Amino acid sequence: MMKNMRTRLGLFLAVMGPGVVTAFADNDAGGIATYAAAGATYGYDLLFTLLISTVCLAIAQEISARTGAVTGRGLSDLIRESFGVKWTFFAMIVLLIANIGTTASEFSGIATSFEMFGVNKIIAVPIMAFVVWWSVLKGNYSRIEKVFFVLCATFLSYIISGLITNPPWEEVILASVTPTFHSDADFLMMAIGLIGTTITPWGQFYVQAAVVDKGITAKDYKYTFWDVMLGAFFTWLIAFFVVVATAATLNANNIQIETVKDAAIALAPLAGNYASMLFSFGLLGASMLAAFILPLSSAYAICEAFGFESGVSKKPKEAPVFFGVYTVIILLGAAIALWPGISLTAVMLASQVVNGVLLPPILIFMVLIASNESIMGKYKNSKWYNVVAWAFTIILIFLTLMLLISTIAPALMSSFINLIGL
Amino acid sequence: MNQVKVLSEFYFSRLLGTPIYDKSGRNIGKIRDMAVRWEGAYPRIVGIKYAKKTHQLILIDQIEYCSYKEVRLKENFVIEKTVTLHENDIYISKWLLDKQIIDLKGSKLVRVNDITLSWVVQENIERMILVAVDIGIRGLFRRLGLEFLVNNWQNNLLGLQYIKPLESWNSYLQLNRERQQVSELHPADIADLLEEMDYKSRAGFIENLNDQQAVEALVEMDLDSQVEIIEQMDEQRASDLLEEMPPDEAADILVEMTTEKSEELLNLMEVDDAEEVRELMQYEEGTAGALMTTEFIAFSEDLTPEEVINQLRELAPEAEIIYYLYVIDEAEHLLGVLSLRELIVASPKATLRQLMNTKLRKVHPEEEHKRVAEVINKYGLLAVPVVDEQGIILGIVTVDDIIDILIPERGKLDTYSWFAISKWGGR
Repeated sequence: MMKNMRTRLGLFLAVMGPGVVTAFADNDAGGIATYAAAGATYGYDLLFTLLISTVCLAIAQEISARTGAVTGRGLSDLIRESFGVKWTFFAMIVLLIANIGTTASEFSGIATSFEMFGVNKIIAVPIMAFVVWWSVLKGNYSRIEKVFFVLCATFLSYIISGLITNPPWEEVILASVTPTFHSDADFLMMAIGLIGTTITPWGQFYVQAAVVDKGITAKDYKYTFWDVMLGAFFTWLIAFFVVVATAATLNANNIQIETVKDAAIALAPLAGNYASMLFSFGLLGASMLAAFILPLSSAYAICEAFGFESGVSKKPKEAPVFFGVYTVIILLGAAIALWPGISLTAVMLASQVVNGVLLPPILIFMVLIASNESIMGKYKNSKWYNVVAWAFTIILIFLTLMLLISTIAPALMSSFINLIGL
Repeated sequence: MNQVKVLSEFYFSRLLGTPIYDKSGRNIGKIRDMAVRWEGAYPRIVGIKYAKKTHQLILIDQIEYCSYKEVRLKENFVIEKTVTLHENDIYISKWLLDKQIIDLKGSKLVRVNDITLSWVVQENIERMILVAVDIGIRGLFRRLGLEFLVNNWQNNLLGLQYIKPLESWNSYLQLNRERQQVSELHPADIADLLEEMDYKSRAGFIENLNDQQAVEALVEMDLDSQVEIIEQMDEQRASDLLEEMPPDEAADILVEMTTEKSEELLNLMEVDDAEEVRELMQYEEGTAGALMTTEFIAFSEDLTPEEVINQLRELAPEAEIIYYLYVIDEAEHLLGVLSLRELIVASPKATLRQLMNTKLRKVHPEEEHKRVAEVINKYGLLAVPVVDEQGIILGIVTVDDIIDILIPERGKLDTYSWFAISKWGGR
């Protein structure tokens, strides 16, 4: 029996490398909420942004995975050794804020899915937070994980639903390759949120750690490269169909998305009356999975950076900082989701924007490390690769600045847009 | 011993960025880094890097006065008085600061937050030496410029004699010293350290271990780590270690690899050892055959206890357990068993045939580990022999082997996790 389980698992793991694993973890509650909102509000307009951000995701993940394979070290380890304590502290604060935000969005996802079955979040969130916390502490997390992973797979139904709605494919494909831009702050926010949910600070730390954890070295990297590409493709596939399905059902009928629950309507062509049930299962699975990974990966990254004892195999007494950070992130995440009067949908969307805004500093560290010859040797970034990576980083910073300006002074923004003639 | 007088002590992190003035009060630059050379018991500072894009150093004996506020030189600064970095010297921040080191006292990997330097006078010669590394939280706060928040906390300093940097020093003297220190660590501690290291440091570390130490450490690890380490190792060394290992362990490791890789390693091994391992590899995982070791002790039924005891002295170091002595005929059919105690108390002139217990428990190689465990548990055995259909003894399964498979270490479950990461890339 033991043997059977291990071979089957082995086969599965052989196919599912760090890149694909990260892609699955990446399509979390906030992700689905953002894609759904994008499709419902702007129809197919953001498909181009999605395509670009997927290309950038592939590049970013490739850099992290390659760095992990070449150095055998995690990202925070390398930041610490190359930039010293102060910069590491800065990077960890950035990561921590982004991850608390994302964890809050995962708990909001959990709350939303339970609300669809009529369970109040005051009951659901604390119980699920405890389940997450306890199962990692007791080390039986890996069994629970499989359940949520299977639930997660229900998001694949968006692909079927998208196909059933039979959207105007010509228009869809045209929109995917035509840059579309609106000058209002809402659109900008949505665009940054879309990028922020596809490429996340934690995702970069995570993929690198997963590569290291699997013992992948520079000479095996060629397989991991394709794994990462496949992962990026997966992320795009799901996101693309969520946007298409919501655009074809919600946007085409002028239904505004009020809460994330409305995203379930896009599954109606497939599941009819069961659409909201299907959706809430998927949302629960994805949210729980990410609610496990995010606090864990933050705790690992912080301990690695500052040299504290870490590891799920340790006892809390042996690794107090590790379990401390882990616990605090769950508590804060759950507390934000439980905050009286807060809109769960707003938490999910806002956390993606926070991720998008906080991404550039992490990207800068990554690119600097990956182009450092004394760290990467012959595997360092090539020149043109660096040009693309820097261009992307600068565009993201630019978008973030635009978002800030358009939020603080919308008038200034629109005159600026007029000026450059968009 | 000459008297050593300590003039002052410094934290390296606080010295960084201190402006340097020469005799005339001209600003030369600031402390960017310091170069060290290992001489005697402590590495000493040889020079100060004073500008960004130069490898010229201001010699340490040029310094008249040093504090966190300023460094004053004895003479006026001229570029001719500086020296270039010697190939045996190394910059502190490249070698130690923010790096992972092995804390030989606690046998674990730690990160260097700061370094303490001592300015001492010995035989009228002033020198600055590295004394200890700071691995505590207070050091972290100091680096952030927030030390005042934790003023009442203890510094967690580790004397330089208790550290082993992962980046090895480029001098024989130093390598020997480190090799010696590492050999004093317990194999289980070495195993833990190895598991935490990144694969490059790991390769360097294993290179410094002799085969026996490396094998002892490897045997202490869980299977996944063993496989990872052997796969990443240079093939020749890997095959040497596999030869030294108990064949059952070696077989377990090789089974987990691709056929291509395992064949490559087996072909590099000595023919005899490889053959033994190959045989063990044929059994399905979790069966008695896969669990058993072929290093057991068996004697012919015609021997006397006296002869056996003499032979034992030679055989014992190889065998996994010596408490059970199996009795066989020429064709290696298992006839009986005798405990070490029975052997010692027996009359020296009897033969094993007369002494042995013929009612013995055995298992077949295809039997599941659960069944083997039941037999061992029910009859209170330390090991159970594995025999084929003809009754020929193939090996033994010891109680250790069974415990390993029945009780996975804590955290091992997460090896089967798809999403959680069982160990992060070092600390």
